[in-house]
Amino acid sequence: MARCSLAGYNSLVTLPMQTARVKVLFFGRLKEIVGRAEDSVELPDGAPIEFLFSRYGAAHPELTPFRASLVASRNQEFAAWSTPLHSGDEVAFLPPVSGG
Amino acid sequence: MAMKKAPQPDLLALVLDPIDHVSITQHVRAAEDGAVVTFDGCVRNHSQGRGTLYLDYEAYETMALAKIREIAEQLHEKFPIHLVAIVHRLGRLQIGETSVYIAVSSEHRPAAFEACRYAIDTLKRTVPIWKKEYFEDGAVWADGEMPPAPPETRAANPAS
Repeated sequence: MARCSLAGYNSLVTLPMQTARVKVLFFGRLKEIVGRAEDSVELPDGAPIEFLFSRYGAAHPELTPFRASLVASRNQEFAAWSTPLHSGDEVAFLPPVSGG
Repeated sequence: MAMKKAPQPDLLALVLDPIDHVSITQHVRAAEDGAVVTFDGCVRNHSQGRGTLYLDYEAYETMALAKIREIAEQLHEKFPIHLVAIVHRLGRLQIGETSVYIAVSSEHRPAAFEACRYAIDTLKRTVPIWKKEYFEDGAVWADGEMPPAPPETRAANPAS
C-alpha cells in the first residue's frame, strides 16, 4: 500500500494510488455550516472517515469544534472514525440526535 | 440481525402528515391482546425557559428507518409482546402536535409497558432525527444525545 500523508490533498502526488468516490451527507447544524446537504468527493482509497472530516474542517473551520460531539456513519450504520472508505460508500457526520 | 421472529406486520414509518393515533393503535390491537400501551410524544410550548413557536424535524431517512426497524426487532426479542407501531413525523410541527407515536400490544400489560418505554428511550438515543426549535427571538438545534459509537481501532490510523 502506498504510503501517503493524509494531512492534506497537496501531498497525495508522490505515488500512484487508487482513489475512492464517496457520498457525504450533512444534517442539522452541520448542513447549515457546510451550506449543503450532500456532497460527492474523491479521496485515497481506504482513507479513514476521520480524514474526510478533517478535509471539511479545513474548508469550514467552524466544523472543528463539533467533532467531539459527532458520531460518524458509513452506509447507514454507526462507524468508528478509523473506518476505511471505499468507492460507493455513503458517509454521514451525525450531530447528537434529538428525535421524539 | 436475527430473522427468527414471527412475521412482522409491525407499522414502522416516517411521515409528513399529522399522525392518526386511532388507526395506529387499532393496527397493533388484536383479539388475543389484553393490553395496548401507547406513547404520544408531542410538541411542548416551551423549552429551557423560552416560549416555543414551532419545531422543524429532519431525518437521515434511510438510516432512521433502519434504526427504527432495529428497535422493533429488539422489542420482539426482549419482551413477550404482539405487535409494535413506531411512527415519527418530520417537517414543521406546531405546538401540541404529535411528533412520535408508539403503540405496543401484548397479552399481559407488563410487557407492553416495558417495551413501549424501551422503544421511546432507544429511539431518542439511536435514531438519526433532529429538531430545530423556533422561538420569538431565534432558533436553535435542540440539544441531543450522542448515539453509541463503535470502538475506534488503531489499525486504520497509521502513525505518520
